Amino acid sequence: MNDQLYVIGVGGTGMRCLESFVHLCAIGMLDGKEINVLTLDTDANNGNLKRVKDLINSYRRIKSGVLNDGGTPNRNTFFSSKLNYYHYHTNYMKAGDRDNYRNLSNLSGQSNTEDENQMLADLFLDKETVQVFDLKHGYRAQTHLGSQLMFHGLVEAARKLAKGTNITDEEKSFGEFIDKLEQSGKNSRVFVFGSVFGGTGASSIPVLPSALKEAIKTKNKASDLNISDVKFGSTLLTSYFDFNRPTSTQKESSKESVIASSTFFPLNSQAALQFYQGDPTVQSVYNKLYHIGWPLPAKKLDDSKKTETITGGADQKNKCHFVELVAACAALDFFTASSVDTTGTAKYVFRTGQYENGAFNFHASDLVGVEQNKDQKLISKLGGFLSLAHISLSKNHAGFGEKGFLGLKKHLENQNIDSFKTSITEADLDELDKYMRNFGYYFTDDGAFKSGWIYQIRNSIAPGKFIFTNEAFAMSIKELKGLDVGKLFEDPNYHWESALTLSGRDTYQPWLKRLTSIQVSAEEHQLTHDKEKFIALLHDGIMISQQQQN
Amino acid sequence: MNNYILLPVVGVGMLLIAALISNIIKYEGGANPKDPRKRKVVFWLFFVLNPVLTYAVGLMTSPASGIAKTKHMDSLPVGLGIGVVVYLLLGFILSKVMKTSKVGNWF
Repeated sequence: MNDQLYVIGVGGTGMRCLESFVHLCAIGMLDGKEINVLTLDTDANNGNLKRVKDLINSYRRIKSGVLNDGGTPNRNTFFSSKLNYYHYHTNYMKAGDRDNYRNLSNLSGQSNTEDENQMLADLFLDKETVQVFDLKHGYRAQTHLGSQLMFHGLVEAARKLAKGTNITDEEKSFGEFIDKLEQSGKNSRVFVFGSVFGGTGASSIPVLPSALKEAIKTKNKASDLNISDVKFGSTLLTSYFDFNRPTSTQKESSKESVIASSTFFPLNSQAALQFYQGDPTVQSVYNKLYHIGWPLPAKKLDDSKKTETITGGADQKNKCHFVELVAACAALDFFTASSVDTTGTAKYVFRTGQYENGAFNFHASDLVGVEQNKDQKLISKLGGFLSLAHISLSKNHAGFGEKGFLGLKKHLENQNIDSFKTSITEADLDELDKYMRNFGYYFTDDGAFKSGWIYQIRNSIAPGKFIFTNEAFAMSIKELKGLDVGKLFEDPNYHWESALTLSGRDTYQPWLKRLTSIQVSAEEHQLTHDKEKFIALLHDGIMISQQQQN
Repeated sequence: MNNYILLPVVGVGMLLIAALISNIIKYEGGANPKDPRKRKVVFWLFFVLNPVLTYAVGLMTSPASGIAKTKHMDSLPVGLGIGVVVYLLLGFILSKVMKTSKVGNWF
């Protein structure tokens, strides 16, 4: 499989799926791969977008050597994929000009043509609500409007790129992405993350392949790319979360004349699935569609104390859900399959989980199957990374505001391993700590516990279980400091070797001891600089410990 | 037993105890771990204790009286010196040979 890999995250849900996907890359599930990531949104200030952007940039800084180029792909280690980051957001910021459909499409009714345009718009889009709501927080579940505008947004950017004047950073970045896609042509796999029940993602998924094709042709008229040669996959992600209903004050404003209500999400999902089942365009451009849903009552994901609906902006920073990890695993399946069947119409794929005693108990095989021992790899790698997170956060106190990886580096120096003394800076290690806080948890200055990605994922299925014991998700400082980092698994076969200490048996001390005796092979891991070597050393120590059980 | 043999053996014994205690001291977490310093303190503490303990052993193993006692007491400082040198030398060698282990913190 030599295909170039592309991931596109669209809208709030798409961003959170992308977040899970980045963490899968960090744990090493996409070894040796270079992945081109595009975030696509209508709302440049969206909290979910900012969070994933920060995460990807943090990932890239961790991997970068002297040049800030995102490093190179590695083998059998953490952070083993290289992520190239591209971003684009439609421009609806200019009030009175581009802030709603009416202004954007210039429906002022001055000429006959425009009268016709107005009549056409009125036919499909409600004049008093859909045509006038503020677009900068997205399409608010108005997918009939959203599909048209997203298509327009991408082609408009391509038109500006072709013209070559007044090009914004976003447009330049989008241009680089489509250039790359055009170059790899039929040797490309593109996976799109987004929901089918919300606004931006639901609007974009059906039109994205055609919009990309049109954008490529607009930017480069000589392009001979046949978009149906490109392999496209996506999630059909149905309703799984809930948020506050709009207040009466919100409803009174014309700017807020349309507010997505999560009450309609199940209905939206049903309508969307009917569309995806029957639409010949979607079926011909997508090769594989992963049905992902959540049958339990939706959990409230809105973390804010506000009582009104958060339509978008910096406040929209929702907690992560297990369903997003499932979506990320769908992309993993799409990218690691030896081939993608491009004949005929889209293939629909789904899996099920075990539901008992009022909760889901998921196994790794429910997410990634058992082929090529992918389930064992997921347990081992995710568990290994969680152990590393606890080593940094709990054992070396990065979760409590201290410097965790600096502690590990000092440990190596104290044990006369000086290989990293000058080549890894404190700033490099701080970046690793930051990533681990995003992944695991941290305490704020006033002592409040803030859960990171994996804690949120676990919490979304609680009291159900997934790979790890409840102790692995301790939340008090006392429990966290006393945590045995090598015994986080439900399956004791993955527990690390332990040694007798004065305070009982422990797995962390033998692991620290082991670190001093491991010889990391730069060739085997395809390492190019010392930071990668440091990460590979920690990785190898963990993997050997998992295999050296008592 | 001859002081020239006994006292260095006591020194080696002290070194082994220092190594054992150093190994029991856990690696600490955080950016300012104090465990290497603790191990160093253990080594030098035993270095100071070494002549005291070796002298005590020398006294305990001394014959009650006569020429044997005089000989024993005469050889005591030399044996004690050898014991101290053996402790220091072996400790240094051990620390350098096993430099990535916990006793590597001694020097």
